[in-house]
This record gives sequence, structure tokens and C-alpha cells, in this order.
Amino acid sequence: MKQPILIVGGGPAGLAAAHALARVGQQSILVDKADKLGGAPILSGYAKLVPSGEWAKDAIGGMVQRVAQDKQLVDVHTGTTVRSFSGAPGDFSAELSNGSAVRAGAAILATGFTHFDSLNKPEWGFGTFPDVVTTTQVEQMISSGKGVRCPSDGRKPQRVAILLCVGSRDRQIGREWCSKICCTVSANLAMEIREELPECHVYIYYMDIRTFGLYETKYYWRSQEEFKIKYIKSRIAEVTSDGNKLIVKGEDTLVKRPVTIPFDLVVHAIGMDPNVDNKAIGATFGVALEPHGFLARGDTYGNMAETSRPGVFVAGAATGPESIDDSIGQGHAAAMTALSIVAPSRASA
Amino acid sequence: MPIHEKALIRPENLRQHEHLVVDGIDVSGHWSTFIQSRVVTDYNEAMEEEIAALPGGELIHRCWQCGSCTNACTVNAINPDFNPRFWIYLVRLGMEAELLRDKDIIWQCVSCNKCTTICPRDVNPEGVMKALSHWLELKGHTPKSPSMIFDEVFADQVIKTGKIEEGRTIQRFFKRTGQALKQDWLIEMVRGMLRHLPIGLLMRMGLGTLRAPRTRRWARARAAIEEYVDEQRAEQHRALGLDDIIEAARRDAAGTPHA
Repeated sequence: MKQPILIVGGGPAGLAAAHALARVGQQSILVDKADKLGGAPILSGYAKLVPSGEWAKDAIGGMVQRVAQDKQLVDVHTGTTVRSFSGAPGDFSAELSNGSAVRAGAAILATGFTHFDSLNKPEWGFGTFPDVVTTTQVEQMISSGKGVRCPSDGRKPQRVAILLCVGSRDRQIGREWCSKICCTVSANLAMEIREELPECHVYIYYMDIRTFGLYETKYYWRSQEEFKIKYIKSRIAEVTSDGNKLIVKGEDTLVKRPVTIPFDLVVHAIGMDPNVDNKAIGATFGVALEPHGFLARGDTYGNMAETSRPGVFVAGAATGPESIDDSIGQGHAAAMTALSIVAPSRASA
Repeated sequence: MPIHEKALIRPENLRQHEHLVVDGIDVSGHWSTFIQSRVVTDYNEAMEEEIAALPGGELIHRCWQCGSCTNACTVNAINPDFNPRFWIYLVRLGMEAELLRDKDIIWQCVSCNKCTTICPRDVNPEGVMKALSHWLELKGHTPKSPSMIFDEVFADQVIKTGKIEEGRTIQRFFKRTGQALKQDWLIEMVRGMLRHLPIGLLMRMGLGTLRAPRTRRWARARAAIEEYVDEQRAEQHRALGLDDIIEAARRDAAGTPHA
């Protein structure tokens, strides 16, 4: 009998891989350390996703349901991690933290990322002032239906600042990567805020804007032309308070002039860190990490989704900052490559 | 079209005329303010390398103009014209003439290093400010600053003797900067020392000032340091093209025509 494929992580990449395998009748074992499936979009309560505009609970929730319907072929273990992993391609065995021992022909690591912890950038006020929040918190304000409010007293903000590149592209704190999606997500959130609170002014402080590819029209230009979001090219030095409002001092570098603006709410557009468990994951599965701490990818142009260990594949933000739709694509790619190990073609059999 | 950001235009480039008719059209008065187009022709394309050749300026190429340095800057908070981000931009583009407009405030950096701590690219902007002041002096755009003279006096003494003797340092510094040795604050300080320091220590300090102590067997270390300093200086002069300038000046003095 064909061995199942072990999938670690039930976010967009892992869910995509499990479903792709189920569609071709391939068994898989889906393990997630959280108590429910869905990964960051569900666990962190994202609101409307880029670029579809669908609510995360519908879009990713739909992926979770789809996998639940595939229960004949997908053996789901939530609240579970992989304790040990050994063997060779075609015949791996793993021990799970819930005590079960499983055998697998291949493994797909879809272990995702960890949100940057803004406490590591103390000069920007997070943890000091209650009205300094992260993009994740704003997502939650919107997805919960409560709306964007100042945490200190629940008032509607009249002026919001979004600071880009918090925990990204910052050598000082060892994060020398672009988290890729925060510019687009921030433009999206800014528009959401303006839609809910038309009287509220939204400023985005940026170093560069990377609303890559087709996001240029829908997010970069639309946010400025239709929603009148103000972009200031400046990285601010610190967030302070006058006891009433948050004070953000910057220099508009394009016109070479200082700008000090009082804000009601300051939002950190937090980046993607490597999963905090990556060292343990690397050790358990015997796969190498790349210099930033993400799981290292093998061949870029030949077999998709390779790690440094044959038979163990990787997909999604485990390999570096990744968008949801690309993670899903990579989940499919990893499923395809893993399938070639457990179900070799007739020609080569 | 109205001029939105008049501050970005040099006042001397704003032109308006009491009475002016061009091709039969009256363009008098401030409704017809003209901006004289500015064409920069004198880029110094080597400027970034020149700054990078001086201590502190090595990492200037990393800057991506986020403005963290300027926003964190102690001096900028008092004087908005003190703008490290802008100067780094000018240096990288080679806009030397533009930079020279600010030559009399660049030295004002107080080396608090807030910019160094905040810079996401590890440019070391404080070092760049140091390199810039140094560059201005080496190129003869500004006179040597007192702090540069102090550094030289200090370093000279350490290199020559292997020791630092404060009394002599301050004497030489005052002499080179044309200051009187008798200064109120100094007299007050010496009085205080006489009152509070132990006799033995005072005697040793006095002796030191008189007969310049040296580190024993210093000659070899001194030779090595001097060699290194000379190499560095030669390298800086080469990078800044100062050899050519010095050579040209020498030829001028000798009355020989330029090649």
C-alpha cells in the first residue's frame, strides 16, 4: 500500500497540500500545533484578504472545511507536534506528541512564520502607549466587527499613522529582509479604516512602497486617489506622547521639511519573522535553515519545494515571507513533488 | 501654475519683474513669477568614494534615504537646516556645490550617536558627519576646527611619547588656537586641584608637565604607528585628489605653467 504523506502545519500552504493530495486520492496526515486549523489568517483573526477582498474566515475557513470533508483521506491531528522523524524517502516514520506513531512516504513542512514582536522596537511606543498597536490588532478590530477604536478609551480615532517596515529591512535588529506583503496589507487596512471612519485621516510613513505586481493599481494608487491616504516618505525616530495624543516626529524627506503630527492611533505594520520553532523543526526533520532563520529551499528551478533533505519538502512562509496566495500555490507544488515519491509513475515503476 | 513648495526653490532663482513684456504679452508683477531653471553640470562623481575614504564615512553607500538619522538628530531639533539625511543624499549624487552651501553648519554635529543607533542600514551617520567635516577641512573649504586641532595635538603627543600629559596637551592646544594660557575656568580648576589633590600626586603632575615622560622602548611602536598614519594619510590624499591640488599649487608657486 502507498504510504501517506505527512503535512506539518495547517495554514494556507498545508491545507492546500492536503486538499491537492486528497483530490488525487492520496492519503495524508495533517499535524498542527494549534487547536484548530487555518494558520495565521484564522488564528490571528485577519479581516479581508489581499487581493480577493474576501473575509479570512470565509476564504481560509473554506479551505479548512474542504479538508474536513476530505476526512477519508486526510487524517487531522490538531494540538499536536512531531516529536521525532527518521527514515528515508518512501519510508519515513514519525512519532507525534499525542503518542501516535505514523509512517509516511514523504513530508511537507508548511510551518509558517511568527509575527514580529513590536516590543523589539521599543522606540516606536508599542507596549508603552496603549494606542500604539500592530496591523494584526487592527485586523482583529475589523474582523470582530467592533471597528477601529483606540484601545485606551474606545474612542474613534481622528488621525491614524501606519508605520511601515516594523521588524523588516532593519539591520539594527537583525531583520534584513522585506516581509513582502505589509505595504499592500497596510494600504488595504488604510482603505478599510477610511471606509469605516470617513472623517479619519490616515497617514502611511514609508521608506519605499512595495505594493508589488498588480497590487500597484488596486492598493497603491487606489488608496491615494480614491481614499485620500497620505503617504509620507520618512522613517520616524520615535513615538512619544503629550499626555493626550501620540506625537510622531518625522521629516518629509521629499520636501526636506520636518513634520510633527499628533495621532490618536499609531499602527505598526509588523513583518514576518522566521517561525520561533524553526530551530527545533530543523533539528527534528534534519533540514537546514537559511541565514535569516527560515527553512532553506533546495533546487529553485528543478524539483519544487525541496529542502536540504530528500523526501522532505517545504511550502509557504516557512521558507521566507510569503503571501497567502503564493503559499497556496507552493502547497500544491510541494504536494506534486511529494506525490512523485510515494506514487512513482508507471513508466519508472 | 502656483508654486506650492516655495521653500524648495532658492530665493535667487525666483524671478519677477516690475515691467516686462515678452512677445507682446505683459508678464509684469508677482502674478508672473518665474523660476529660473537650475541645471546642475558640476557633479563630482567621485564624491561618495572621497567620503568613504575618510574614517567614519566607509558605509555611506548603504543609505536608502529613510530619514531616521535626521528624525533622531539632536541638532536638527534645534536647527532644521542640520540634515544628515540630505547631506548623505548630496554626497552620493556628487552635488558638491549644493553641499558647500551648508559647510558652516555641518561641523555642528554633537556626536550623540542617536542616528547611529536608529539607522536601519547601519550607515553610521555620525561617522559620516565626522568624515564630512574632515573632508571640508582637507579640501580647504573650512578652516581647521578647534576640535580637529585638539585631536591632532593629542594624537601627536601620544604617537611621539606613548603617553598623554594633560598639561602639555592643553598648552599646545591653546598655542595653536591662539588662546591665552590664563583662562578663568582653568585657573579655577587648578586652584581646586591644589586644594583637594594629595601632595604626591600634584608633584608628579607638575614634574610630568615639566619633563614630558615617555613610555620606555617606545621607538618601535612609534615607528609602526607613524608608518600606519602616513599610509592612511597618503591613501586619503589620493582618494580626495589632494596630491594633484598640492602639486598644482607648487607649480603655481614656482611659476611653471600647467600641463
